[in-house]
Amino acid sequence: MSTSVHPEIEASLIDNLRQGDATAYKTAVREYSPGMLAVARFYLDPSSAEEIVQDCWVTVIDAIHKFEGRSGLKTWLHRIVANRCKNRLRTSNREVATDFSETLDPELASRFNSNGRWGVPPKLQFHESADTLMENDALSDCLDKHLSNLPETQRSALMLYEAHQHKSEDVCNILDVSASNLRVLLHRGRQKIFLMVETFQETGEC
Amino acid sequence: MLMCKDLAEIASDYIDDELTGRQNLSVKMHLMMCRHCRTFIGNLRASTDLLKVHSSGQENEELIRKIDERVAEALGARKSEGGVRE
Ligand SMILES: [Zn+2]
Repeated sequence: MSTSVHPEIEASLIDNLRQGDATAYKTAVREYSPGMLAVARFYLDPSSAEEIVQDCWVTVIDAIHKFEGRSGLKTWLHRIVANRCKNRLRTSNREVATDFSETLDPELASRFNSNGRWGVPPKLQFHESADTLMENDALSDCLDKHLSNLPETQRSALMLYEAHQHKSEDVCNILDVSASNLRVLLHRGRQKIFLMVETFQETGEC
Repeated sequence: MLMCKDLAEIASDYIDDELTGRQNLSVKMHLMMCRHCRTFIGNLRASTDLLKVHSSGQENEELIRKIDERVAEALGARKSEGGVRE
């Protein structure tokens, strides 16, 4: 955690922000963006989180006039970020209806025979460790691309649970899903990543 | 008997240790006999680990630059509107 800004310095910074001073914005953006990004990452995947932080700064230009200073600037900024993220999750929850009764990804499901055995089995073992795999920039980019294509709730579930290692109960609360539905979201998301890595290892293409 | 497809359906629960003792046992039995499912579970687990590694340590410089740009643009727009807010 960075040391907090001295109250008097913060007060003059806020004054300057209100006046639309470009230098003050540059200072504030550098001081507060890392924390704001961390908050956004709690809710969203990396690229959506960055988008939210950018949008928030544009909002701040107007909203700073209504900032009453009851909380510190940092707390206020974090709250703006959190609210935006929650709104985004809420709307996407409505848009993306994950079928919770389908635990298998359709593409994976099609690889089994009618007798329930593998028709198209996994071709090869992912031989490298996750760390080694992620040193491959192309794979890393590919993962980003696939993550951003996932339904938002699946992606958030993955980010919160795997990447940020939050407890299941916390993830359920944030996403407003039941424990069993969270299991489905995680499993569906993981299968997509599995399919992606498999294709990548086989073809070298995303 | 647990088929490969059944196993695939509960694979994440197996990885996260969320199965009942009995389910867990039948998965283990299946895995002993089925190479494909062993590969599948291993790869699914690797995919999961990938996400853990992936999101750590991304750099912010690019983001800061983008924010600077957007803030400058927005400030400029407000100035040209003669300081009109909202
Ligand atoms: Zn099998």
